[in-house]
Amino acid sequence: MDLTQFLQQLDELTASAVGTFEAAPDQDALEAARIDFLGAKKGQLKAAQKHFGAVAKEDRPVAGQRFNETKQAIETALENAQQRLQSGGGTEAQGDPQFDPTLPGQPFQLGHLHPITQTIEELKDIMGRLGFSVADGPEIEDVWHNFEALNIPAAHPARDPLDNFYLGVAAAGDAERRNELLLRSQTSTVQIRVMENCEPPVRIISLGRVYRPDTADATHYPMFHQMEGLLVDYQVTMADLKSVLRLFATSYLGEDVHIRFRPSFFPFTEPSVEVDYHWNDQWIEFGGAGMVDPNVLTAVGYDPSKVNGFAFGLGVERLCMRRHGITDIREFYKNDIRFLHQF
Amino acid sequence: MLVSWNWLKNYVALDMERSDLENRLAMSGLNHEGTKSVGDDFAIDLEVTSNRADCLGHIGVAREISVLWDQPLNLPDPQPVANGPSIHDQFKIRIDAPELCQRYIGRIIRGVKIGPSPQWLQDQLATVFQPLNKDWKPVNNVVDISNYVLMETGQPLHAFDLKELFGNEVVVRAATDQEAFQALDHKLYRLDAGTCVIADSESAIALGGVMGGAETEVSDKTTDLLVEAAQFAPLAVRRAARALNLHSPSSHRFERGVNPEGIDWASRRCCELILKIAGGELDQDVIDMGSPGPACEPVVLPLSELKRILGIEIPTEEVQRILLALGNESLQATDETVTVTPPSWRPDLTRSIDLVEEVARIHGYEQIPEDVGVPMVPSHRTNADRVQSQVRNVMTAAGFDEAITASMVPGKWISTFTGWSSAAPLLSDTPMLKGADTLRTSLVPSLLEARRINQSLANPIVELFETANIYLPDEKNLPAEQWTLAISSGRSFFQLKGLVETLLDALKIDQPLQVTDNDSELFTVGQGARLNLADQPLGFLGDVSAKTLKRFSLRTPTTILEINLGVLLKAACLVPQFIQQSAFPVITRDLNIILQEAVRWDELARVVNEAGGQFLESLQYQETYRDPERDGEGTKRILFSLTLRSHERTLTGEEADQIRDDVVQAVTSGLNGKLLA
Repeated sequence: MDLTQFLQQLDELTASAVGTFEAAPDQDALEAARIDFLGAKKGQLKAAQKHFGAVAKEDRPVAGQRFNETKQAIETALENAQQRLQSGGGTEAQGDPQFDPTLPGQPFQLGHLHPITQTIEELKDIMGRLGFSVADGPEIEDVWHNFEALNIPAAHPARDPLDNFYLGVAAAGDAERRNELLLRSQTSTVQIRVMENCEPPVRIISLGRVYRPDTADATHYPMFHQMEGLLVDYQVTMADLKSVLRLFATSYLGEDVHIRFRPSFFPFTEPSVEVDYHWNDQWIEFGGAGMVDPNVLTAVGYDPSKVNGFAFGLGVERLCMRRHGITDIREFYKNDIRFLHQF
Repeated sequence: MLVSWNWLKNYVALDMERSDLENRLAMSGLNHEGTKSVGDDFAIDLEVTSNRADCLGHIGVAREISVLWDQPLNLPDPQPVANGPSIHDQFKIRIDAPELCQRYIGRIIRGVKIGPSPQWLQDQLATVFQPLNKDWKPVNNVVDISNYVLMETGQPLHAFDLKELFGNEVVVRAATDQEAFQALDHKLYRLDAGTCVIADSESAIALGGVMGGAETEVSDKTTDLLVEAAQFAPLAVRRAARALNLHSPSSHRFERGVNPEGIDWASRRCCELILKIAGGELDQDVIDMGSPGPACEPVVLPLSELKRILGIEIPTEEVQRILLALGNESLQATDETVTVTPPSWRPDLTRSIDLVEEVARIHGYEQIPEDVGVPMVPSHRTNADRVQSQVRNVMTAAGFDEAITASMVPGKWISTFTGWSSAAPLLSDTPMLKGADTLRTSLVPSLLEARRINQSLANPIVELFETANIYLPDEKNLPAEQWTLAISSGRSFFQLKGLVETLLDALKIDQPLQVTDNDSELFTVGQGARLNLADQPLGFLGDVSAKTLKRFSLRTPTTILEINLGVLLKAACLVPQFIQQSAFPVITRDLNIILQEAVRWDELARVVNEAGGQFLESLQYQETYRDPERDGEGTKRILFSLTLRSHERTLTGEEADQIRDDVVQAVTSGLNGKLLA
């Protein structure tokens, strides 16, 4: 055994003994620890001493000095521990004068989900409990799913090139496909894709990005998020629509709220209504809704004399802004981490 | 649409409180936006949806009120007295562009005296125009009357100064390309080919449905008038108004469609008022070109539909009362059905569902209960949704904040990173934000920009992630939307690589993560990597090159990660299965191997794992150390640990040593490695 190893052994022994003595809860435990470390025959210190002979002769003065220091340290630790236990808690009762519990903690750096994501997750959660499964669809759509199947014919103002993000490819010679593809202007497109591919009953929500060329200001942004709900079955009425939306609003706001319908107009629903909920003594706009237009049901191959349904849609940003008191929609897309950390 | 409280009284009794009226209109389809007082009158602002052009005039709104309060609707019956010669002997009108103008009705009045309109007329117009434009002033009796009839019926009218017209004929035709037109606002416009114009023998004198011309404008000197009442094609008017940025009450109404059977009524009404107020003599007869179009078809409403759609019973008498009061003509009523012919001003009523809506909105949606029992059904969470939330959990736990950035980016950003596709990106004619007209093919540039913005806000720690689609062009199908996770970070290469490993672990993916070199200019040379999962392309990772940092004005070292979440979705194990853990202790062995610099860890790990056998539970890299003086140039020492364990028994020290020796043997023979003694 060389000197380094010998000294390392002593250091480990000191640390182990001091720790054990300090931690001893009562006299019995301390006595057991004393025998373990300082026992005359089988104590660990005694065992360490046996290695002294293995140390090279020229290193022995150093080794001897360090051995004595180790012994001293362990014995002092034992005395301290005995004092502590005799004085009924000793140093623990007196406390460490250097310990300042009012110093700041060491927080963990957690990331934050975007408030829009948090709102969407809550919407999914509530609608999931009401039996609505999430359906996804592409953001780049063809005119059939974004317009035609939704009862928005070619001459309809909603199809104006200035009001939509029609897409082409950078490569030349693609005029044919130009104005056939666009970024979806509503999540209702997903309804069509779902209904085209499965038989009723259907109970889904679709959530995601939608796009309309509005100039960005405090209340508009050319990209925003919508939630669209759809329920199609063999016997669905506007009373079901009103009841589902009331359950939703009650879940979201946490107390019983009432719903009202005001007549409105959307190409893909008939009758169409604006939905308000009553909250803090005022009616607050919630979104649009209605019974799925028979033309839409026909477009996806359903028989509108046998099945019907309702659909509703709302803007996620508006809901989120109201909930958190955000006054400018552009805050959502600046991604200032000071903003993100607030939610 | 602003309506005057006093004006409405001409057609229907207003015995109710004004607020009741506003509320009830709002609840039946004319949303109340506000009310302003103007003189001793009130301007009530009602939102008219695009399907209800009939309510863009006072008569239409009065009809709604009469139905809601079950009051009679009193309409004038204009029968202007015509004492002049027959118009047919004097004048001709021709429609050369029937696709732009379905109907054109002209009447001529001679000898009018232009002057200010009477006070009642000025007051009623002021109520509906002044709240929109505080500088609004009445013009003269003729112009004011045409505006009055416009706001009464929703039918736009125009009066030309007949003496300023060249020739005795006007033609409705399509403009030639860049045709000049001097409008009422005294500006010169250049027209697109196909714009609808009214022209005399010299030039265009009006822009059909949009604006009259300066040259034929009614002035103080005018004595003879050509009164136009027409029906212009909605889409053509919309295009022209938009192209020239000339939006007017007239274009607004033509865009939504006028009542084809109300055109002549409005013409007679206008002429009658002119004769009464401005004098003059009306030519006999009328020039009525074009056709009123097909009559409305009868619509059958099965009464059972009301219950099926609305969920409530409505008495048959109430259904009939509502439909008739709205102007529908009754054809037949049985116990099961009501058949009506909708009025010409309601072209939106063509199907039974349209009648259901009419009945519902007048009967009142408040009659529909909000507490019926909707059957419970199970809902399902998609695997994509589960993976998405697991990804977000890992990201936020690791301290990354979620960004949401725009799907369209400036075209010049695309070349920053083309790892997923080098095909030309999709473009939009309309940019989303200034200069951003290109659908992104990577999230990386957007997140570098978000990092730059945070840098400019002096935010000290910027660790961002985003999950979103990128859009990869496809020649034949809809473009591929690749669901992608990206990160921009100030952490090290190996921290981000560790994040990927953590993510794989969280999704219980045990397929090997493979790393190969990537020489994209996005990365510092030699410090970019391509990631594969079981030989499937997974993504990219690396230190951002100085060139790219400069491009995004970033001042601090930046790493990026971008991975295809679709690959993780396929590989994820969302319902992990229990594995019995060994009850026996581990034995570890540390090795320090000298290897040539070119030998990479993944090669070493492969050899060690193969040689380690069944008891090698795990292999841990510890560190790399270089000591060229002792080991020679171009070498390195890699220190690693073997964790050994059996499921059946406690391994002996001899067994552990044997495994270590096997590993050393394999490393020596396979990789020319040397155990450091």
